[in-house]
Amino acid sequence: MRAGVFAFAVSCALLASGCNSLPGKPAPGPEVPRPESILSPQVLFAQNCSGCHGTEGQHGPATPLASPVYQALVDDATLRRVISRGLPGSMMPAFAQSAGGELTDAQVDSIVRGIRAKWNKGDALKVANLPPYADDGKGDAKAGEQVYANNCANCHGPAGGKIGEAGSVLNPDFMTLMAPQTFRTTVIVGRPDLGMPDWRDQMDSPMTAQQVSDVVAFLMAQKPNAPAGRTQAPQATQGAAHQRALQPRISGGAR
Amino acid sequence: MNPEPNQAFTKVARDGEATVSRRRFLLKVSIAINALVAAAIATPVIGYLLGPIRKRGAYNSWIALGQVSDYHEGETVLATYRNPHTDAWDGDTGKVACYVRREKGNTFTVFAVNCAHLGCPVRWFPQSELFMCPCHGGVYYSNGERAAGPPERGLFTYDYHVVGGKLMINAGQMPTLANEAKLVKGILPCPGTSKPTIG
Amino acid sequence: MPWYKQAYDWVERRVQLEGFVKESAEHPVPSKTASWWYVFGSASFVLLLLQIVTGILLALVYVPSAGSAWSSLQVLNHQLPLGWFLRGMHGWGSNFMVAVVLIHMCQVFLFGAYKFPRELTWILGVFLLLMTLGMAFTGQVLRFDQDAYWGLGIGASIMSRVPFIGRQLVEFMLGGPIIAGATLSRFFTLHVFVIPATMLAFASLHVWLVLKLGINEWPTPGRLVKRETYIQEYNELTHKDGVPFFSGAIWKDAMFSAGIVLAVAVCALLLGPIGPTGVPDPTIVQTVPKPDFFFLWIYSALAFLPPSIETPVMLIAPVIGIIVMLVLPFVAGLGEKSWYRRPVAVLLVVVLAAGFATLTHLGTYVPWSPQMDGWSADPVPVHFVDQTKPLERQGAIVFQQKQCRNCHQMGGLGGRRGPSLDDVATRLTEDQLVRQVTQGGGNMPAYGKTLSPAQVTALVAFLETLHPSNQPVAIDASRHVAETNNPAPKEPVEAIRP
Repeated sequence: MRAGVFAFAVSCALLASGCNSLPGKPAPGPEVPRPESILSPQVLFAQNCSGCHGTEGQHGPATPLASPVYQALVDDATLRRVISRGLPGSMMPAFAQSAGGELTDAQVDSIVRGIRAKWNKGDALKVANLPPYADDGKGDAKAGEQVYANNCANCHGPAGGKIGEAGSVLNPDFMTLMAPQTFRTTVIVGRPDLGMPDWRDQMDSPMTAQQVSDVVAFLMAQKPNAPAGRTQAPQATQGAAHQRALQPRISGGAR
Repeated sequence: MNPEPNQAFTKVARDGEATVSRRRFLLKVSIAINALVAAAIATPVIGYLLGPIRKRGAYNSWIALGQVSDYHEGETVLATYRNPHTDAWDGDTGKVACYVRREKGNTFTVFAVNCAHLGCPVRWFPQSELFMCPCHGGVYYSNGERAAGPPERGLFTYDYHVVGGKLMINAGQMPTLANEAKLVKGILPCPGTSKPTIG
Repeated sequence: MPWYKQAYDWVERRVQLEGFVKESAEHPVPSKTASWWYVFGSASFVLLLLQIVTGILLALVYVPSAGSAWSSLQVLNHQLPLGWFLRGMHGWGSNFMVAVVLIHMCQVFLFGAYKFPRELTWILGVFLLLMTLGMAFTGQVLRFDQDAYWGLGIGASIMSRVPFIGRQLVEFMLGGPIIAGATLSRFFTLHVFVIPATMLAFASLHVWLVLKLGINEWPTPGRLVKRETYIQEYNELTHKDGVPFFSGAIWKDAMFSAGIVLAVAVCALLLGPIGPTGVPDPTIVQTVPKPDFFFLWIYSALAFLPPSIETPVMLIAPVIGIIVMLVLPFVAGLGEKSWYRRPVAVLLVVVLAAGFATLTHLGTYVPWSPQMDGWSADPVPVHFVDQTKPLERQGAIVFQQKQCRNCHQMGGLGGRRGPSLDDVATRLTEDQLVRQVTQGGGNMPAYGKTLSPAQVTALVAFLETLHPSNQPVAIDASRHVAETNNPAPKEPVEAIRP
């Protein structure tokens, strides 16, 4: 009874005090906004990006957006294009409504701004011989083989040799899933979150832009020709299982 | 002080036998008259109450969903239109959504957005090519076939027709198991009119 | 004589209610019924009155039009002083009313109060329960947000399953071909005129019967209800061991009612109004409709019904349930009242309560629904990413990008439709994983057509890494034998094209 009186007095006091600070008072705006009216970069990133790129833009299976090198590598227009229309040949989906996604252009812009504001450390890295984002198409696969042997083989294993500690990057299934641009971005940016160095931290000296193009050309040359066709899937799936049964396990007892 | 009533007026006049039977008769007549009047007025009101019930397909008409060229082959997109039967005060609820899939050329499949289980709005995921329902987990393949979950059939589809490069669908009513969106096969709209004819 | 006494007398000489009220108030009740167990009925009535008052206050602002209802609730929530509080009172009052009515029903059932001569009181009570639930549902419709819109869609879809007249019933329920303005007007009429008026009439009659027949006495094991002797026994009981209702028992009713109303207000102040969620625009498919708390059990039940018996159960079970409640006093209207001697009744209440509670609990986290943004929002757990090789990382991307995450949890995040995959490698061998992914089964779609062979390989390579470090992966024993007989020729090698 006394508790009731007390509660009553408290609620009266709260009511009298303008009730602006009561926990029950709804926050401004509708409880569930229209999807297109969500413009907070944090919310949009958490809803659309963190699944593959990680909540903090790193330690996700996809490209580490938080890497300062990555931020130096891409410009706003590139980010906007890739988010809107996806990255053809890779699994990065198109998010813009115009390309079958669910985000408006304003929302894509907001994500771009949010990513830039959070992780872009300015142009400091641009001067340090950063290779360009886009491939110039002048890569030489032959030269790339040597670049691979010098820079990649130590961790990923030499071509035709034993698979390295960091796992195979010449595995045909892996190659099939990688777009040239994903290869190029990963060679330049590395996976700082997972211990893979960027283009500078190589064995002897930083890779040149030409070496980057060469090694990507070499990698692409290893790509299986037959593109994974949807219509072939059922038989091909058996093939995949068969192939895996013959090939020793990649993720075997090493761990 | 005025005299105040302190007793209810309870005295009832005594009636003779004759007046009783006459009054009884008049009472019965008055009840009968009331029943008649009530029936005469109420019967049409039942019609008023049942007004929204119409013949199958009576709510449907042909609706343009834009140019065929707006849709890319092999893609499924959400299209919206204003329901043909709508009131000025319906607001947003007068709008209807559907999924348009352009198979090839002029071959389309137009899916209702409503899950065949209990009518919730399914969502299209182009990556896995699945429709998923948020309510009870109904899942459908890209051709509308049931893939998983409680639905007992695939997604509802609308009749469509291409007239002069325009995609038209025959719609107007919420699809349910009792009204499966698709009407009779072979109904085509006359070009230039919205009236369907059997063709 | 003071003026107010004069005024009272003046009115009393005309309405002549004093005697009746006094008699009703002071009628003797068995002293043991002056108990805290007997307060739920009066609390239900008080909550009904509270709902009427708050409802009228809300109706001053609410616009029952499909185009404006949602906006008028925004005005109530954000612009009018204390509008949000009144919405909170009405919404929480509704929740409390359903709860108290249910408790009241359990209490009178366990106390055998439905037995002779109080059968009609019980039947009226059953209708009052149904109308309370009807008010809760129509009230949720009047909120006219996305939950209300699609809730109506679920209602219409259930109606459509009625044989022969399903389509007509849907059109009658919706007031037209689609859920729109006419639908809202119908439910407004039900919620504001039809059901409340009926409810008031039924509730008054219900209370009248309690007055006329006397409150149900505290059950004593062994004292059986007999048609011939019960009324005489009851009268003796109230005269030998009775207290006047006023004020022997009423103070407990009054205090409990005050407590309940206060609890409603505290909930409104602390938890705020319920909804409205998003604007009712059916072209917004990014929505996850969910009913209010007291309908979650139905929502859950609908998820678990197998398709083959779904329609009959949906349509017949409610009818059977209502008929059982209505005929109960005629089937079990005599005999033992005490719960000590009615094990079946007690068991029934326990089983039903446990069933409803379980279904409601399931309804709060909907394990059967895909989590629509799981694939793009829920990160792959860092400890899985950190130990992956390139191919497995691509497999993790396949896992996210193909929306596997919408139904499968990893690290406690993601949908719960399918099993959690944190240790899937210990349960399924590689070949089993390939088969499950490509052919589906067990309520999982087949992904054979939407995944390329490379994607399947990468995905399975990733899934093979999902196991606790102290548990080995599942392996196919026959493969082990095959590999022992024909040992793999050499060390793993990097593939290279000639």
